[in-house]
Amino acid sequence: MQQGVRLDRLRKESARAWAIAWKDMRTYYLTPPSLMFGVLFPIALFFTFTVGRNLSSLQSLPILLSQTVFWASSTVGPVVIPLERRTKTFDRYLSAPMSLFSVLLGKTLAGIFFGLLVSIAPLLIGIFIFQAGVMNVIALALGIILSCFAFAAMGIMFASVPTESVGNIMMPLNFVRIPLLFISGVFIPIGELPLIGQVVACLSPLTHTLVLVRRGLGVESFNIPLEASIIALVVTSLLFLYLSFKFHESIKKRE
Amino acid sequence: MVSAIEVRNLTKAYGELLAVNHINFSVSQGEIFGFLGPNGAGKTTTTRMLTCISTPTEGSAQIMGFDIQKQAFDAKEQMGVVTDISNVYLDLSAQENLIFTGKLYGLPKEKRLDKARELLEMFGLYDVRHESVKGFSGGMRRRLTIAMALVNDASVLFLDEPTTALDVQSVRVIHELIMKLNSSGTTIFLTTHNMTEASELCNRVAIISQGRIATIDTPERLKQAMDRVHSVEVVFDSSSSHLVKEMEELHGVRGVQKRGNKLRLLTLSPPEVLAGIFQFSERNNIRLLSVNTLSPSLEDVFLEMTGEEIVERPKGLGKMSGRRGPVGPRRSDH
Ligand SMILES: Nc1ncnc2c1ncn2[C@@H]1O[C@H](COP(=O)(O)OP(=O)(O)OP(=O)(O)O)[C@@H](O)[C@H]1O
Ligand SMILES: [Mg+2]
Repeated sequence: MQQGVRLDRLRKESARAWAIAWKDMRTYYLTPPSLMFGVLFPIALFFTFTVGRNLSSLQSLPILLSQTVFWASSTVGPVVIPLERRTKTFDRYLSAPMSLFSVLLGKTLAGIFFGLLVSIAPLLIGIFIFQAGVMNVIALALGIILSCFAFAAMGIMFASVPTESVGNIMMPLNFVRIPLLFISGVFIPIGELPLIGQVVACLSPLTHTLVLVRRGLGVESFNIPLEASIIALVVTSLLFLYLSFKFHESIKKRE
Repeated sequence: MVSAIEVRNLTKAYGELLAVNHINFSVSQGEIFGFLGPNGAGKTTTTRMLTCISTPTEGSAQIMGFDIQKQAFDAKEQMGVVTDISNVYLDLSAQENLIFTGKLYGLPKEKRLDKARELLEMFGLYDVRHESVKGFSGGMRRRLTIAMALVNDASVLFLDEPTTALDVQSVRVIHELIMKLNSSGTTIFLTTHNMTEASELCNRVAIISQGRIATIDTPERLKQAMDRVHSVEVVFDSSSSHLVKEMEELHGVRGVQKRGNKLRLLTLSPPEVLAGIFQFSERNNIRLLSVNTLSPSLEDVFLEMTGEEIVERPKGLGKMSGRRGPVGPRRSDH
């Protein structure tokens, strides 16, 4: 009986989280800030990183994929949440029969799917046009999906800043996103960093994105066990989500 | 029977400001409960706590027996909420707004569309149902906001100044709707600073001032107080300091307040006072610049009911919290 109640509650919560994700997907994917930070930015950065570096298309593909999941997933929350604060529609989620956690999960899902969507095209082009071979499907799939999760949750965490302006969130977020590029093996191979740099690199989720995607596509990468990268991405995702939850809870106390 | 709303020591502090200061009240099922107070009294803050949008600093509340913090999910399933600001999704159409709300409240798919249609018709939005809400006027947005609160057939409906931004016609429609919902069993928590609205619709009215409940009374008592505090505002072409005293002595005047060059005469009977003013003007050869009769103000009614002055909370003065105004010096007799 008790379990039936719990299952029913779980079903309701997840349906409502999905409703939020679906609405965000339909309404915000095609807005200028989403397209700019989620699509143009990763592509522009990709060219910045690859042009003139004499990389094969096989070596470039993981860089492109890492950029699309990284930027697209982490952009949706910071675009949507401040706008919903401004119109006070965010309050609707708080007074609706669902937990704050489900609300944030729904918002995270919208980010995850944006990352996946933006990554599909380059992935397909890489596989079918540039003949990139998939060596380890699980590593590739988990690399992309878990990274989308981690970066979407990171976006939601930054969007916990109680502001009504998108810029106020994008600023600190980019302050973190851009340095991450330099310590995650996108630009400089991690093996070439000093030891301290290598330790910091292991703390960056983007490092693990690249490790998994490179291994998945059979490209040489920094030597970390796959399991370690998978666990790292899961742990960062949950940590970001938990912190978002705590931040939003404290906002509710202050507002 | 469990109370629809049960509030104990509910408190909200913003820094040092006690926006809501240890309030207690209880609303029975089937009641229309008015929550009346001036700007900044703490009405919206109270409503936001009761509807789980903000977390109380102290105290607790139950909705239909469910604790708003420990059993938030069940409590929220019982509520419909109209916030003070019309919070609609601007990127969705009117119909999509309603359907999305239906999803948030777990309405099954078939029912969502039927309900949306019913509400769109009821609120005169059916013809524009596919249009983006961005192009809606303030009144249309307000109506849609109210419609969205009715999607889940809540047992307790929270309305924070539902009729702001609405024209006379729409206000009447909303008032009728409130009565109708109530007669079919919905408990209504109506926040307003419109005394007429409160006295005409509610079964009981709480008057809140500076975060505290000053009194909870019947609408009859509110109406009586309103009847007692009509006032006439007069401007003479003279700045004689004797005018106040002269006016106080007119027949039917209960008190005089001086506001700039205007004199406000409190009275039970405006016609009697008007006659007195005209006589006075003729007899003393002092020209009248203007005369107005005023409907009672919340301040006057509040003073009449509680013997205390209502003080609008100055913004940003945290230390003022919870302090009540002194007994009005401007009142001359009872
Ligand atoms: N988020 C906030 N941070 C700080 N102070 C706040 C906040 N929200 C409200 N206040 C203060 O709390 C007090 C109560 O505000 P509230 O909005 O509850 O008043 P109200 O009775 O709804 O007034 P109105 O009739 O203008 O809607 C005011 O002094 C207001 O300035
Ligand atoms: Mg208010």
